[in-house]
Amino acid sequence: MCFPLGWICLIIFLAPPKRLIGQQTQHYTGPFQIGDYRGNAVYDYKVIGQDTLLEGAFQMQRSDLEALLKKEDSTFLFSGSFQDGYPNGFWTFQFGEFQSERRAQVINYQYRVQVSGVQESGSGTVLKGKPNGTWTYDVNRIQDSEIVEALFKSTFDFDEGVPQRNFRIESEDRTLVGRFLRNGIAHDEWALYDDAAIDATERWFFQDGVLQKIILFKNGKASEFPIYASGSQVKTVTIDTRYLAAVQLQAAISDPGDAGISGILDLLDKNATYYAKMDGILSELGTADFNPEFKVKLPYFPLDSLEKRTLANIFELHEKARTSSDFFLNSSQLNILKLTDQQSNYLFEVVRALSNDFLKPVQKVLNFQKDSVLEFVPRARVRKELWPVAIPSKTVRAIITKDSVTVKKPFTLSNAADYDFEGRLLNSLYDMTKYAMACLDSIEKDLNEKLIREKRQQTLVALEEKLVLQEKGFGELLDSLSSDTPANYRKVLQRLKGIADTKLGAYGVLQDTDLKLEQGKELTHCFEKLLVLGAEIGKLPAQSEEIRLHYQDGVWNPFMATVMNEEVKKRITNAYRKVLVPYFLNQIQDGFDCGSVELLLEEMSYTGERMFQLRDEETSKLERKLRREQDPKTVLKLFHKQPKNKEN
Amino acid sequence: MKNDCRHWAGIFLLFFMGSCLQLNAQEDAPVVLPTESKYKDPVTKTWFNTYGNIRISKRLFWVAQTHFRLEETEDTQFVGQMAQIYNRHAIGYIYSKKFNASLGGVLRLNFNTDESSTDRNLVPEWRIWHQYQFAMPLSSVMVYHRLRIEHRWTQGFEENSAYIFRNRWRYMFRLKVPLNSHKLKPKTWYVSPEAELIMQSGKAVVASPMEDLRLTTTLGYIVTPRLTFAAGLMYSQGQSLDNGGVYKQNWTMRFHMYFSPDFRRVKNKLPEIHLND
Repeated sequence: MCFPLGWICLIIFLAPPKRLIGQQTQHYTGPFQIGDYRGNAVYDYKVIGQDTLLEGAFQMQRSDLEALLKKEDSTFLFSGSFQDGYPNGFWTFQFGEFQSERRAQVINYQYRVQVSGVQESGSGTVLKGKPNGTWTYDVNRIQDSEIVEALFKSTFDFDEGVPQRNFRIESEDRTLVGRFLRNGIAHDEWALYDDAAIDATERWFFQDGVLQKIILFKNGKASEFPIYASGSQVKTVTIDTRYLAAVQLQAAISDPGDAGISGILDLLDKNATYYAKMDGILSELGTADFNPEFKVKLPYFPLDSLEKRTLANIFELHEKARTSSDFFLNSSQLNILKLTDQQSNYLFEVVRALSNDFLKPVQKVLNFQKDSVLEFVPRARVRKELWPVAIPSKTVRAIITKDSVTVKKPFTLSNAADYDFEGRLLNSLYDMTKYAMACLDSIEKDLNEKLIREKRQQTLVALEEKLVLQEKGFGELLDSLSSDTPANYRKVLQRLKGIADTKLGAYGVLQDTDLKLEQGKELTHCFEKLLVLGAEIGKLPAQSEEIRLHYQDGVWNPFMATVMNEEVKKRITNAYRKVLVPYFLNQIQDGFDCGSVELLLEEMSYTGERMFQLRDEETSKLERKLRREQDPKTVLKLFHKQPKNKEN
Repeated sequence: MKNDCRHWAGIFLLFFMGSCLQLNAQEDAPVVLPTESKYKDPVTKTWFNTYGNIRISKRLFWVAQTHFRLEETEDTQFVGQMAQIYNRHAIGYIYSKKFNASLGGVLRLNFNTDESSTDRNLVPEWRIWHQYQFAMPLSSVMVYHRLRIEHRWTQGFEENSAYIFRNRWRYMFRLKVPLNSHKLKPKTWYVSPEAELIMQSGKAVVASPMEDLRLTTTLGYIVTPRLTFAAGLMYSQGQSLDNGGVYKQNWTMRFHMYFSPDFRRVKNKLPEIHLND
């Protein structure tokens, strides 16, 4: 019976080519996680080689009725299909945040719970991982299971991931409409309509992707801001945070007094966030490039190799200067010292001015570079952005306020003329950073001497406070002993306190501050160890009792018909009680060296640990060897685990 | 048969009482119960008893007891002469913490304590015995009930005297009260009052079923779970076998050593406590 069945199985398994076996579609139903989304999924997949490719319908969702009824629930539903590991076909994404009124109705044998909250929903067709056709993304406010307000709605047409023709983004009170060329590049007019206004409040004009001007309509007045003039070198970029930053920078430069162009940026930004959400999910599942590329062109001012090198130098130097200035500004010692010392206060304010006038603006440029915005802004405009009024002077003015009178006190370096703040942007930024660094160096020389002296004094005071506190700790150790602690333990702790007092007395007669600092530090370390040792000694009586109980064994006494406890392995417990514990206690004598603490602690803790283990180990050999053994070192050696015994 | 009985009664009088000369002289006279019970003068004795309970398995132990019983002579109270040497052995079974039972044999060597007798000085006595002991904790006190049944074959000191067979029915009630501790454990003194009634039956027993009533109090000390010492004083009285109207009396000093070694390997010993697992 078994034999033919085995053959049949063999034939079935051997017959189809290997490739086909791997490609058989398998089905999965169960818990699943995509990024932060955890829920239940139903999908089909193929295993090819070592890869798992999704194939066919996919659905994942989560909703928790209990959470909803209790407080609120976050739900989601992703539904669509895959082909060869690519998202393909119609896809829907829903995200909900709902609360319930905790009231249910029964209709047609169903419990219905009305919910309120916000529901997001994005849907459209995907072709090989790219949006294709019309995509909409809605965010609605739900009240008692009905849509009461549209919070957001965007509609885009895509052709294999490239946005086409017109698009529309609506928020609660504004609507943005715009247009793309066939290649996905922004074109013509993008207009923002305010629900409260008749005309467009913000209009962006693109010429083949380049944002040429922005017209703002505010308080019944239209004002026009030219953004990028045509003709300069351009680079195609996607509308992302970098682009928005560059435009914002450019717009602000055009008219520093008005930063009211945020409307369009806001909506685009919001839309980008929603699309990124869907892209994140699809990219986790398979190969997808869902982030739709809304392309624009930006004037491009590339950095040459010299500029790049200069920028790297600025970065390095700025890092040092900032570390130095932060040290002074955040030094609690200096912050206290400046209250009483005028010179310190003056230097502190100089550092503050250096930080504000030089280091912070340079930091801003470094941030532009980090965000890849620098190359899209004309250098001259960067300079204007950094210092709208004037380039900072080489004579730094420290603002000193005393008795509500503010005095400006200058600070300058003798070789200030060597630094050029007016040259090419990056060169002058480099010189500014260098100048700030040189100033900080000179200030540091002045301040350090004051700080070091002050610091030593403070350290010593703190150290001695700690020593006194530790010394008290020995007394507290004695006080913490329970009343039934045997007298010999009490004596040992008293001896320990005596040792500490003697050491502290020797320290007290020292005169030299340097020596005091050095020995004080050693002494605190020593006291720390002694306190730990004292605490461990204080625990010994309890530990001994614990060990005594651990070595009790119930013995049936037939005459009394009772179980009586008896100590087992007496040679081991005797070695502990009569050899090791007295040895530990006797170690602590006058002139006890801190260097011996660690070894003693180690021996104590090892012994305690071993005593608990030995109870259950085979110890007949050990017990034989322990017979009449009085030397603690030998006993400790015997207590060490015998690897040979372990093997037995 | 009747002769036999009388003969044996005589022997037993020799056994249990110090002076039996007059009784022996009355050997042939019919036994007449006195109109009032008659108490003999008490005899003083000293017992040195060792009790061994040796564990041989989780539930079985070997009972090994050796008792040396001394008796007064005319010159020396309590310890004048050796009266009996007891050898009691059995296998005990621990059924539970509250009940155990034993079954075994006894070889008792009886010495002729009649200083004037010219008969044999030493005769053996054989017994089969079984006992059932119940133990009950009651607060810090332990209460024991012991039922012991003995089948004994005894023999007189005369040459060629035949064995007679009797049964003994014993019940003992005993308390053990710890004195310096809340329970019976090592380093504890305890006091143990006990009362034992020994009845007997058999063809030789006609009018004296109550062989002995023993009232004892001992003071004991538990040295370790395996070693205990105790000492006490016992008063006992009982009917003479030959005349139910005559009562013997004894005052006995008792010295006991209880030991319960366990030679089993450690791995077989554990866990002692869980007898019923």
